Amino acid sequence: MTGTSGARGPKLTQTTAVLAMCAVLIVVFSIFLKGFLTLGNLFALARNISILGILALGMAVVVIGRGLDLSQVASFAASTAIAIILMNSGYATPVALLIGFVMAIAIGILNGFLISVIEMPPLLTTLASSLAVLGIVRTTAVQHYVVYLSKGHDEFLRLGGNIWGGVPISILIFAATAVVVHLFLSRTVIGRFVYAHGDNPDAARQTGLPTRPLTMIEYALCAAIGYVGGVVMVAQTALMHLQVAESTIIFDVIMVVVLGGVSLVGGRGNVMSVIAGTLLIGVLLNGMTIMDMDVQTQNIVKGIVLLIAILLDSRLHPRDEETSKQGD
Amino acid sequence: MRAEQQAGTPLLQVVDGSKVYGGLHAIDGVNFDLRPGEIHALLGENGAGKSTLCKAIAGAIVLTSGDYMIRGRKVSFASPKEALEGGVAMVYQESSLVPSMTVAQNLELGMEKWVTVYSKINIAATQSLQSMNFNVDPLVLVENLGTAKRQMVEIVRAVRHNAQVFIFDEPTASLTPEETQHLFHLLNTLKEKGAGIIFISHALEEALNIADRITVLRDGKLVATVPAKDVTRDSLVRMMVGREETAAQYATHGADPDAPKLESARGEKVLSVENVTMGSIVKNMSFSVFNGEVVGIFGLVGAGRSEIAQIVSGARKRNFLRGGMIYLRDRPVRYRVPRQAVRDGIAYITEDRKVDGFFETMTVDQNIYLGYLSSPRIRRFFYSAREMKRIADRWISALSISALKRTLKIVEYSGGNQQKVVVGKSLAQEPTVVIFDEPTRGVDVSAIPQIHQAIRGLARENKAVVVISSYLPEILAISDRILVARGGRIVEEMTRADATEDKIMYAAIH
Repeated sequence: MTGTSGARGPKLTQTTAVLAMCAVLIVVFSIFLKGFLTLGNLFALARNISILGILALGMAVVVIGRGLDLSQVASFAASTAIAIILMNSGYATPVALLIGFVMAIAIGILNGFLISVIEMPPLLTTLASSLAVLGIVRTTAVQHYVVYLSKGHDEFLRLGGNIWGGVPISILIFAATAVVVHLFLSRTVIGRFVYAHGDNPDAARQTGLPTRPLTMIEYALCAAIGYVGGVVMVAQTALMHLQVAESTIIFDVIMVVVLGGVSLVGGRGNVMSVIAGTLLIGVLLNGMTIMDMDVQTQNIVKGIVLLIAILLDSRLHPRDEETSKQGD
Repeated sequence: MRAEQQAGTPLLQVVDGSKVYGGLHAIDGVNFDLRPGEIHALLGENGAGKSTLCKAIAGAIVLTSGDYMIRGRKVSFASPKEALEGGVAMVYQESSLVPSMTVAQNLELGMEKWVTVYSKINIAATQSLQSMNFNVDPLVLVENLGTAKRQMVEIVRAVRHNAQVFIFDEPTASLTPEETQHLFHLLNTLKEKGAGIIFISHALEEALNIADRITVLRDGKLVATVPAKDVTRDSLVRMMVGREETAAQYATHGADPDAPKLESARGEKVLSVENVTMGSIVKNMSFSVFNGEVVGIFGLVGAGRSEIAQIVSGARKRNFLRGGMIYLRDRPVRYRVPRQAVRDGIAYITEDRKVDGFFETMTVDQNIYLGYLSSPRIRRFFYSAREMKRIADRWISALSISALKRTLKIVEYSGGNQQKVVVGKSLAQEPTVVIFDEPTRGVDVSAIPQIHQAIRGLARENKAVVVISSYLPEILAISDRILVARGGRIVEEMTRADATEDKIMYAAIH
């Protein structure tokens, strides 16, 4: 049975192509780059990609449903900043984290509401909501761009550390999130609805799918999973820098999603695609860092890789040519 | 008739022209000619091949076989632009002007020099417009013009390209009577200048009034080309619908145990539409549907037949004020979204399955199962492969879908199978009112009887069934009762026994 969207079998899909590219890179780097194939470097690689991977898993849910969430980073930055402030002011860690979580989900639901009920375009809606959320949080609760976690939260900070002699916990959180998202997308009715919604929104509406609640669920999940990524980020650094929302991270997230084969057309791709995209970017960045490339060159390489991915996407999902209809 | 042909060669000639789409002939061996200084009307039902013929003449499509000559010289236009350069201009139903540009800019479109000097093009535009006596300001944005004036601009544009052949696709459909008169005056002016005009219309009287000759197409074949003064409305209708050969394709219900029911035998009233209005498309439409019957709604393009179905099924909203009433089993309903209609057991099966019918990335099984799952009565959290197979199996056999390889995506199946899947997807929701919109459009011939059987089968199960079709034999073959829509209203109701193709067509055209 094809549990996921049929990306199995020997057929060349974008996911398998990206995985192959990734394998080639690993082989090439292992041969030519000293220090690439060491346990220490691989753990560092895992640690570096896990946050990006978690964020991309959330974004994938929205993109599969033919949407886009530019507010994901702003939403986790704002809600983790609030959580840190609550923790600093004496709230129990789980309570503070839960409040931040609820806040992230609320932002997601609001996005979904604006997009599905008010029928605003996702791109501009989420761009606007990212600015609004950040602005509101900055003016009301957070005085400085950087919010530090005060001392005395070692228990929490252990999340950002390692376990079993070097395995970063963040990669385990990425793996766990991947399993949960995979089970959601392929084994639950709502998950399949997300695919149907992205595949053909008009047919989904006509068939009687609850498209409006569905959109809200998609954006809420994106924000919630993004929040998980944000919490891992805080645990690794003991701070939240709100300027992260104005950085290019959101584009890296979208790149990873599209690269792996979660097409912006909607309804295509799965968790494996996200993992493939994350791995490729992670290996590439890691290799380039070892080669000591400067940021500009790294950006050029990233740009070229993204262009190749988009080219692959348009080749593998061409526009339907059978539109010629009989005249009436 | 041919004997009195002028000495000059025809302006345009199509000899034995055919166009094949996926094995189906859209037009089949059509011979057509247009003389200089003539208005030639092209008539036929929806799907008769009028548009296909005109698109071929205008270069929008290329004929599969046959010759196309202009002034006796063989040509083959690869695009509308080439055709325009060759002197053939099509004035589209949907305007092809750019709304955000001025009239002058639109007239210049496609002929721009490297540098546009606005004063020059404005003067040129004024001259062209005045030479045709058109009262249009060249500096006005096209989006501020009404339909009639847009048509004028299109005509001027064609004239400036030195077009000799003008094709008008339903030019009067959105015009007021005065505007229509003005258009006819224009057509006559063009004709006096020696141009040839092809005029597609549903309105027979117009064709009879203005045309010199009339060509009737039916099912892609040429029925006749006759001088307009030799025919009457009645004989034209007969030419348009007379369809002895093809009627055999459709099983008639004469000796069928499944024959349409008499009025006394039908069940309770399920759906009742009263004075429903939506914008200018549906105006005061009223009808009722009973259990256990198939109601056929016939109408030409723009009659509001699909729109009323979409209103009933929640896909569109009727006017909020004075929008009329819809009763489902005597309960007034007004749906905001289709999901509410699905909950109440109303299924609408779309006329364009690619647009809002199936999910292209999914298999047949997944499509049908999704239809089942999306019924609001089903409350399930986990997706079950076993249940999917059970439900898909049921509808695959009930509708004889030939899904040999169940792992193939639905786009890889034929049109007929796709349509059956879309039907199965809706029937899996166990609806009590089923509305089919053009159920056999783009469906292979062998699948048509199977779909018709499925539709009759629903009525036998005592469901209320509505079939919307613009194909007369289909309406006649499966309906118990026939409604004719025209201009947003139901204008005629007849029983199966009373209905003939001529009668229905008569009511449907104004």
